[in-house]
Amino acid sequence: MKKRVVLFFALVLALVTGFTAMTPTTANAATDTSLSKVQKKGTLVMGTSPDYPPYEFQATVHGKTKIVGMDVAVGEKIAKDMGVKLVVKSMSFDSLLVALQTGKVDMVISGMNPTPARRKNVDFTHTYYQGGYSIVINKSDKGIYKNKDSFVNKTIGAQTGSTMYNESKKQTSGTTVKGMTSVSDLILALQSHKIQGVAMEKPSAQAYVANNKELAAIPSDFDLSASDTSASAAFKKGSTALVAAANKSVDQIKKQNLVNKTYLPAAGKYLKTNTVNTSMFHYWKAFLTGIEYTLIITVCSVFFGFIIGVILALARMGQGGVVKTGLRWLATAYVEFIRGTPMMVQVMFVYFGLGLIVNLPALTSGIIAISLNSGAYVAEYIRGGINSVDDGQTEAARSLGMSSGKTMRFVVLPQALKNIWPSLGNEFITLIKDSSIVSIIGVSELIFQSNIVRSDTYRGVAPIAVIMVLYFILTFTASRILNYFERRMQHD
Amino acid sequence: MTKPIIEVKNLAKSFGKNAVLKDITEQVDPGQVIVVIGPSGGGKSTFLRCLNLLETPTSGEVDFDGEDLTTLDTKRVNELREEMGMVFQGFNLFPNMTVLENIKLAPMKVKGIDDAAATKRAHELLKQVNLDDHADAFPSSLSGGQAQRVAIARALAMDPKVMLFDEPTSALDPEMVGEVLNVMQELANQGMTMVVVTHEMGFAKSVANRVWFMADGYIQENNTPEAFFSNPQTARAQDFLSKILM
Repeated sequence: MKKRVVLFFALVLALVTGFTAMTPTTANAATDTSLSKVQKKGTLVMGTSPDYPPYEFQATVHGKTKIVGMDVAVGEKIAKDMGVKLVVKSMSFDSLLVALQTGKVDMVISGMNPTPARRKNVDFTHTYYQGGYSIVINKSDKGIYKNKDSFVNKTIGAQTGSTMYNESKKQTSGTTVKGMTSVSDLILALQSHKIQGVAMEKPSAQAYVANNKELAAIPSDFDLSASDTSASAAFKKGSTALVAAANKSVDQIKKQNLVNKTYLPAAGKYLKTNTVNTSMFHYWKAFLTGIEYTLIITVCSVFFGFIIGVILALARMGQGGVVKTGLRWLATAYVEFIRGTPMMVQVMFVYFGLGLIVNLPALTSGIIAISLNSGAYVAEYIRGGINSVDDGQTEAARSLGMSSGKTMRFVVLPQALKNIWPSLGNEFITLIKDSSIVSIIGVSELIFQSNIVRSDTYRGVAPIAVIMVLYFILTFTASRILNYFERRMQHD
Repeated sequence: MTKPIIEVKNLAKSFGKNAVLKDITEQVDPGQVIVVIGPSGGGKSTFLRCLNLLETPTSGEVDFDGEDLTTLDTKRVNELREEMGMVFQGFNLFPNMTVLENIKLAPMKVKGIDDAAATKRAHELLKQVNLDDHADAFPSSLSGGQAQRVAIARALAMDPKVMLFDEPTSALDPEMVGEVLNVMQELANQGMTMVVVTHEMGFAKSVANRVWFMADGYIQENNTPEAFFSNPQTARAQDFLSKILM
């Protein structure tokens, strides 16, 4: 009981600090310890959204999936110059700046343009690369579209949260702009003719066209200021020392033209190795990792969710006394609140919100969020299960001198569990599928891995088909196992 | 004079505005078999359930072995309940456990007796109720009469000083009533103190030391079975006896 209350306060605290974190903090150069902190811990954590070749993408290097690309090379240079090791963390583009503000990462390099709006929230280095925009179209449409103005009554796609998305909206008229989280999804939408063009950075466009014979690139002709087409590394607001150190590296990169001379060609090589073998079997290791994490998340969440559920159910059924009434009220409020908010929001809240107090890894955050969520649902099943056990059972146990606790544990709960087993089984199978939500915070479960394979291979559908089959195998096996135990529990 | 094992003083119990027990003062001496009879709805079961506090009395005292249950904390009440076995109309066996496990559960979990000793004792009790060949059966495979005998064995496993029976044969097919009553009679012969709520007048006549006639929330008569059945004092009891087939 106590632990639950503590947890509740932790959540409230997280909520409060969550709000305060939304107001930008003012820089204080005098007490800026950002650089010494990084040097002390010996690692520079870089956040990136690895679905944007050649900036950053996943490639299989010596049988291992690795995030590569020119941004990673830039990051490595910065880290090396600071005398620390680079750690690359992947997450969705939308989550990057939040991750930076909440201290999940030290630095973001993800082909990010230093726009004035972003500058309000984070500090940028000098630009290390000056790009431009292209629009990728289907080769068959090459005659139809010339530039951004050719898409009247058509749809252009762009990565949500990106500059291209905003500029496409601003600088076209009569054109629908469709946002998607990953560029590989956008390319898939393009090839299935749901959209007619995809706005992206010139180097990315070139990479896609080079790797896919059915695509072509046309100039965008967007009217852009320098900051809109340039890429910078972002740091937490106020980390002046860190930015200054990074700027030294960035200036060297620009002076020696390292991006065009070294980084881009190197990235191009990875792109080639990626597309040599795009068979799904070639990526079995990626899928295996996905299965592994999906199972870890599911099993842990079912376990903790069940415990939370039992505690909540008991709290909700407490009668009499101020403490019990209070707990009942709290438990009811918790269940209603969790059931009334999307799991995706809860996952992000635990990772980013709770992360302000304790720095939890994504996997742990995911398990916590899903356990908390599942607990609310399981609590209701258990409550129903306990109510379904005949009062006579409790009376018989109590008349034998068993305490209410022992009665619950040895007599009521085992029977309740049997009654609700099918519902619990459903919850377990639902969790196998719902665990996919934690892909948004970068846990390498099945969905996340499939997205990586998709951006690696430029194949949109095959990885989806593969994980569909994998999910089915998982859920079907699970339901067989659950049925076995259900049969074993049948005595009456 | 022996000290009474159960003493009830001015016991009253209401459910909301419905006063089921109004003012009951009686006592049970060790070794006595009390049979409580009376019309349905007269408060017999509620009275019995007040004795081990399955129902909390609205007012009055329930003394067990000199301790007033209504004033004790939950822990002590649990301890005293061990000494009062109870048998229910609906058996209330645990359906997810075998007969043997049903009997062993409370001795092991409450008294902390080890598995071997509990198993040995359970087999003895099953022999006593003639059901040792059903030790590994699940309750769903037992007849009503067998289930009730298991329930009696389960209650006896805690070595109670008193056994409370709440209409133990009411849910049984007629041909199974006898086997349960035989077990109860044997218990009585061994000197067990028993309070039995029942409609079995034959059992009352042959086994009871005292008959308590209960109606309208009061014990209307407390007498020997011979006196009660041949010469009921109150009009209420006369009316009740005239309506039942003897």
